[in-house]
Amino acid sequence: MLYRVAGQFKTSYQADFALFPVRQDAWLLGFILVLAFVVFPLTANEFVFRALLIPVLIYSLAALGLNILTGYAGQLSLGTGAFMGVGAYACYKLMTIFPELNLFVAILMSGFVSASVGVMFGLPSLRIKGFYLAIATLAAQFFLVWLFQKWGWLYNYSASGAIQVPNISILGIDFAGPTAPAINQYFFVLVMVTLITIAAINLTRGRIGRQWKAVRDMDIAAELVGINLMKAKLLAFFVSSYIVGVAGALFVFLWRGAAEANLFDIPLSFRVLFIAIIGGLGSILGNYLGAILIVALPVIISGVPAALGLPLTPATVDHLNIMSIGALIILFLILEPHGLARFWAVAREKLIIWPFPH
Amino acid sequence: MKKLIANALLSATILAGLCLPAAAQDTLNLPNMSYRTGPFAATGTPHQNGQLDYMTMLNERDGGINGVRIAFDECETAYNTEKGVECYERLKADGALVTQPWSTGITLQVLPRTNVDEIPLYGPSYGFSAMQDGKTFKWAFNAPTSYWDGASMIMNALSEGDLDSMNGKKIAFLHLDHPYGKEPIPLFEKLSEQHGFAFLPIPVGLTEMQNQSAQWLQIRRERPDYVIMWGWGAMNAGAITEAVKTRYPMEQFVSVWWGAHNPDLKLVGADGKGYRALSWNFTDSNAPVMQDIKKHVVDAGKSQIDQASGEFDSMAYQRGVLMSVILAEAVRAAQDHAGTPTIDQEQLRWGLENVNMDEARLKELGVEGMMGPLKTTCANHTGNAGAWMVEWNGEEFVKVSDLLSADRELIDPLVEEEAAKYAAANAPWPMNDECSM
Repeated sequence: MLYRVAGQFKTSYQADFALFPVRQDAWLLGFILVLAFVVFPLTANEFVFRALLIPVLIYSLAALGLNILTGYAGQLSLGTGAFMGVGAYACYKLMTIFPELNLFVAILMSGFVSASVGVMFGLPSLRIKGFYLAIATLAAQFFLVWLFQKWGWLYNYSASGAIQVPNISILGIDFAGPTAPAINQYFFVLVMVTLITIAAINLTRGRIGRQWKAVRDMDIAAELVGINLMKAKLLAFFVSSYIVGVAGALFVFLWRGAAEANLFDIPLSFRVLFIAIIGGLGSILGNYLGAILIVALPVIISGVPAALGLPLTPATVDHLNIMSIGALIILFLILEPHGLARFWAVAREKLIIWPFPH
Repeated sequence: MKKLIANALLSATILAGLCLPAAAQDTLNLPNMSYRTGPFAATGTPHQNGQLDYMTMLNERDGGINGVRIAFDECETAYNTEKGVECYERLKADGALVTQPWSTGITLQVLPRTNVDEIPLYGPSYGFSAMQDGKTFKWAFNAPTSYWDGASMIMNALSEGDLDSMNGKKIAFLHLDHPYGKEPIPLFEKLSEQHGFAFLPIPVGLTEMQNQSAQWLQIRRERPDYVIMWGWGAMNAGAITEAVKTRYPMEQFVSVWWGAHNPDLKLVGADGKGYRALSWNFTDSNAPVMQDIKKHVVDAGKSQIDQASGEFDSMAYQRGVLMSVILAEAVRAAQDHAGTPTIDQEQLRWGLENVNMDEARLKELGVEGMMGPLKTTCANHTGNAGAWMVEWNGEEFVKVSDLLSADRELIDPLVEEEAAKYAAANAPWPMNDECSM
């Protein structure tokens, strides 16, 4: 009923291949955009911005980057955390060398640094596949974090070895640094994430995306039908590392405010990989669902015992939290091994034929 | 295509899950960012138990401070900087009077925000050494002592007061490869330049804490005259067992206060004899304050400590107690000054700037001999209490020195320099202009 598609006729091929073949999808998206751009900013407090909304958006973006590489092009990577670090350090260097630079531009530029590093570490993918490639990207992970620690120029030789975000404003509005209000930072991240998501959707459903999917499903067959494997794989590494790098720069500049090299170590890579896997490999929507489950849900759960007035110690709450999130992850993966995005796809199918299932 | 459907779910969860209680007016909201889970829980737990138990004791014995009960809530961070952000925002929304970040990494994130959010940051004997400069860091405090003070006191003790006697010697600095471990390096480098000893930093990565064979191989090869350790969590126990295994002479092995941790030494027992650490606190389980805690908290079953392992008598637990003693003194000073028992953040900040714990006051508080006298001012947020060298005798730590003090002529200019650098990097950085000292 809600999702009735009867009466929505397609009279041209173009209409059939449109972004929203079903009108309700567009309405739903519009509703979500209104929520994100109007309702949340009007209602959220600083805690909601800084502990829920901003991190979910940034992690979703990082997972989106990884998903392009792993979910669409089928190249397993364990170096996401390090590529985020490359983006963050590149942005830090850009902003400290050219303090007048527009932050938006600086973040977009730092993505290119991360992308070129990504392509460099993507070269082995031309010869090795699967788990072996994962090991090669793991090398990138260890090497880059080591570099962040040892190369003093990267952190301007500060005694603590950490990078600190200075106050940065665009047109007189503070966006980064301690004085920036959370709502400005939220809008900055939201605009950036929305733009990149639109680009990613169109990229993955077009010619390049189909090449990636062909490479993922069977690379020999893809080569036989005329796809240049080297180009396709390296492009996937480029685009993926670019998005991941932008996410890394946002991670430090718009959210954390300070970072040390250890932040970009392997746990971060795994975290992003889990978001992509649980959300659903080979989907855009899944990254958002995964980030909500992995990033936002623990924050919300940890507030529940206090809200209910249960006399639990914080350590117990933390243990319960880890256990319940773990149980949820297992549950979701048993119910739907293809991730949360597939859940939504199934639900949508059911809604379309409801109330008359065949 | 419903790329942002995520946010729809989010809105529902926010409405359902977020019940932030309003700040209660009739309590002193002094939360702590604890870590009783994760790789650093072994050192975090006893300290945080000590802090919590002292505050509980004040609630039980005196009904709080000047009649206002203390809410000493904990927010679990697992030493994770990401959870640190979350905890900070959560506690701020709850109307916290103070931020106790318990990690140099979290301090780094929170420090620039102190001026904006106007919540005092209290990091007893950790965090940035430059926080001593109260004119620059209006809202940050690290009383009773800083890492640079600690480094200077260790060097004074090793050289027996004559730093020139270190000329030609070699000092290895075994530290956690983390902002915390790197903190004292500038001071050591300056000393090594001035007094002609070789300074050799040996970093231990977070992943190698429990297996330091590479580092100790290097130590054996370099044969330093002293090894100074700046470790935390599992790293200290790892280093001590490795030192015993490689038969490094324990008399030449010295640690900062976090290394004065009984469980780490109990692992090696008599083999650890001669190991020394600089500690600004000393244990005295018979001190009136400890007896009160025993009576009102531990025996009443309100403590989380592990009594069977002797946690009550440990350096770490009693150090935690003293951290809370200092904070409670600041609250008292603030209440007296404000003329009201319910204080706000700004008043507590004044209190933290006016802690005066002289010998007489230490005795009144029942902590005589457990720590050195301490006095903070608006220009000096550290207070520079002294510290003792304590030595492991195979079973427990014993005091082996008088109260040491740091070299002020050396540290103060360095503090000023670092503080100025910090302010410049974070421009526009508001200075504390009210302070005219």
